[in-house]
Amino acid sequence: MRIFLLITATALLCFGCTKEKKPVVIDSRNFDIQSSGNITTVRNLPADTIIGVNSIGQPVGSGRYSFFSLENGQWVPNTDSATNRWDLAFAGTTIRVNNQTSGPGLGGAFVQVGTFESLVTISTDSVFRIDNHPVSYAIPRGSGRAWYTYDGPTNLLTIIPGRVLVIRTATGKFAKVEILNYYRGGVTPSATAPDSIKIKDQRFLHFRYTFQANGSRQF
Amino acid sequence: MRFYFLLYMVGAPFFSLLAQRDTLPFLDEVVITATRQERRLGNVAIPVQLIQRKQIQQAGSMRLRDILQEQSGLQLMSGFGTGLQMQGLNPEHTLILLDGQPLIGRTSGVLDLSRISLSGIKRIEIIKGPSSSLYGSEAMAGVINLITDNGVKPQAEASLRYGVADTKRGWGVPFSSQNLEHTEADVHFSFKLKKWTVKQSANYLYADGISYRPFSQDRIPRPISRFTSQSVLQGPIGKKVDMRVLTRANQDQFRQQFAVQNNGVTTASFGRELNSELVFQPTITYRPSASLVVSTKAYITHYVGDQQLRFLAPTDSTYKDRFEQRMYRIENQVDIKKGTTTLVAGVGIQLEQANSTRYDAFTSKKENSVRYAFAQWEVKLGEKWISVVGARFDHHTLFSAALTPKWALRYQPNNRLSFKGSIGQGFKAPDFRQLFLNFTNSAAGGYSVFGANQAIDVITNLNRLGQIAELKSDFSKLSQLRPEFSTGYNFEINYSITTSIRAQASFFRNDINSLIDVRQVATRIDGSQLFSYLNVNRAFTQGGELGVQWQLHKSWNVNFGYQYLQTADKDERSRVFQQKEYIRDLSGSTRVMNSTEYVGLPNRSKHQAQLKLTYESSADRFVHLRLLYRSRWTIANSNGNTVHDSQDEFAQGFVQVNLSAGLPITSYLVFQAGIDNLLNYQDLFYQPNLQPRTVFILARVKIPSKKTSINQ
Repeated sequence: MRIFLLITATALLCFGCTKEKKPVVIDSRNFDIQSSGNITTVRNLPADTIIGVNSIGQPVGSGRYSFFSLENGQWVPNTDSATNRWDLAFAGTTIRVNNQTSGPGLGGAFVQVGTFESLVTISTDSVFRIDNHPVSYAIPRGSGRAWYTYDGPTNLLTIIPGRVLVIRTATGKFAKVEILNYYRGGVTPSATAPDSIKIKDQRFLHFRYTFQANGSRQF
Repeated sequence: MRFYFLLYMVGAPFFSLLAQRDTLPFLDEVVITATRQERRLGNVAIPVQLIQRKQIQQAGSMRLRDILQEQSGLQLMSGFGTGLQMQGLNPEHTLILLDGQPLIGRTSGVLDLSRISLSGIKRIEIIKGPSSSLYGSEAMAGVINLITDNGVKPQAEASLRYGVADTKRGWGVPFSSQNLEHTEADVHFSFKLKKWTVKQSANYLYADGISYRPFSQDRIPRPISRFTSQSVLQGPIGKKVDMRVLTRANQDQFRQQFAVQNNGVTTASFGRELNSELVFQPTITYRPSASLVVSTKAYITHYVGDQQLRFLAPTDSTYKDRFEQRMYRIENQVDIKKGTTTLVAGVGIQLEQANSTRYDAFTSKKENSVRYAFAQWEVKLGEKWISVVGARFDHHTLFSAALTPKWALRYQPNNRLSFKGSIGQGFKAPDFRQLFLNFTNSAAGGYSVFGANQAIDVITNLNRLGQIAELKSDFSKLSQLRPEFSTGYNFEINYSITTSIRAQASFFRNDINSLIDVRQVATRIDGSQLFSYLNVNRAFTQGGELGVQWQLHKSWNVNFGYQYLQTADKDERSRVFQQKEYIRDLSGSTRVMNSTEYVGLPNRSKHQAQLKLTYESSADRFVHLRLLYRSRWTIANSNGNTVHDSQDEFAQGFVQVNLSAGLPITSYLVFQAGIDNLLNYQDLFYQPNLQPRTVFILARVKIPSKKTSINQ
């Protein structure tokens, strides 16, 4: 039983590593962006959601990224993937920044331990990492490495509290991002929920961020 | 049946005066585990909890887990069978003995208590706190010693029990389709053959389980059939020389059928688990004088656990798993008593072997041999003080030696008040799994776990072949595993308020170092994780227990027990206190964790209590009501941080009520009936081994019909 869950999980973590040019229809009924003060909260952003099962019963997505501009607070169509109009691209547990192997921009990122509110200044000696697709990413993938943990026995992904993604945008400005949830509706299914729910409702990202438009490192 | 309970309740002379007695009879009970020699309970410096055969029978217990869950301060844990948690320590830290010799066949450190039959067991002794100074490895949290009948009185007894439950309807209806039934047959007889006493017990149990549950993760009560046979032969073989040979065989078989639903695809699987156990224990005791006893014990035990799991999809495949373990031991013990001093000393040698499909190869036999010596010196200092100093030295061929001392002191200012305190060390040697496991889940992106003795070689080799993507920092910490050590402090006050009310308060603390944990040590280039065992964790458990026994009337008894427990992983706790752990608010935003939100080790209940009411006019005419309470406990760290806190997933606290009653029909025939889990509390996910409300009836035939025969 656990073997199957593990296969499923691994499959989930592996898919969607390639960039696609085709436009993706965003489910606008649930996808939602709200701003309050300098904090913008994004809910239910589909990140390569599960569309079916492959021949050996593993759930798969279409392999397409959801592109997002922190600067404009908007979802960006996939046709713009080769521009610096986007800052973050989401597919499953992969988050890419717009630089080098991922895009033409000046993007970069690192993960800081602490609360979202306590991060008021990005220190000048911070090192922003960049993507080296498909080997490594500025925001590392894998359970317990950056912003999530995955538990094989319960087949659930949980966001680690106290992790802030410090982002350098495609245009070289700064933002801080906190991932809030990975499941549709912003509620992680209970450990005892059937696998079908855990699979169908995953890859809906919830996060909040503050973008500093003036280019400074202060929030 | 209810009618009889009511009759008892009303008919008993509830309001008569308290019985007055001059002596406290419980102090005359004989115990052996505290000192490795038979002693009066009132005369040992280490607290011993005692469960007599009568209690086991009155509770209608079928397996060791049934009676232990009703004891104060003991909690059951689900996972790899039913394990026992004592003083907040994991099941692998409690030693379970049969007549002083360890039972083997643990899975992942857990000796499944539902496997162990109570057939032929006369009493159970429980010692809490480190006891490695007498018993060696594993006796960190304490010792459970199952004592077989030592009597020489010929007798015969047979019983048949039938019980029924129904998870859906609440009350089981016999022979209906969805119910869970169990049947237990037990025969016990002893006779004299010239100078020899022969005792034979046999027990058969069949209990239904739930064989199908959707979304299951194999956490279900499994159908079990079990057969146990125990023979004892004892008698004199010379002048002042006695011999006793104990043979016990146990075989249990679990069958299960369950289906896994995954994205609409249902995979059926069929499992079969067969566990066989054989124990052979000859003892020769030489008593040259009243003050000297020399005994030689040999011990041979075999355990075979064989599992097969057949999947019908995606392809018809069978997973096989086999584990064989053998232990051979010979030890010699001398007891010397001179005036106010008693000395117990012994030496022994032990060979342990194991083969497993989960090691590098099933045919590759793993071995460890141990040589040990122990001594305990007990001295009476005047009338009020007893001091016991003891130590044991274990030398293992596979890892470093262990020396475990213990000092216990008893002060009894008068015969109503006594104080007992002890400080001692416990240890647990790394087991074969932690040393030799070589288990790979080869499915895509799977994982491997290597025992500490394998990990460095295997991973270095893989690295040379270019198979390793990353060596974690824990890889450099891999070294030969050391035993886990603990220091335990125990203190108990015993006070007899009147001759009919007595109370105990006790406090304990265990500091555990070099706990062995599984850590990821490397990642393969295909992303799969490699794990091994390291001595990394430090933890503590502490708490207090309170007990009150009140003899309300000569046939009415109230017994209350309570345990408060606090536990922590010391490193986790210091991270929380340094404000390095975070937690999410209801709004979803993160804040620094408050130290009061840290709950410590998982699977621990902070509060545990029980209340037992007994009406008993004879051993067979009784009503016995038990209320067992356990507060909530964490199951999983579900909120993403690295510690268990108050937001994590908890199993609900609950109350379980067990009721049983006995009625002698003639002097030969006794009827007993009861309802286990009267409130029908169920928690299939977190307490799969808790049976739904079960009504049982039992008939027992005894020859000769001496009422004291089971009470001796």
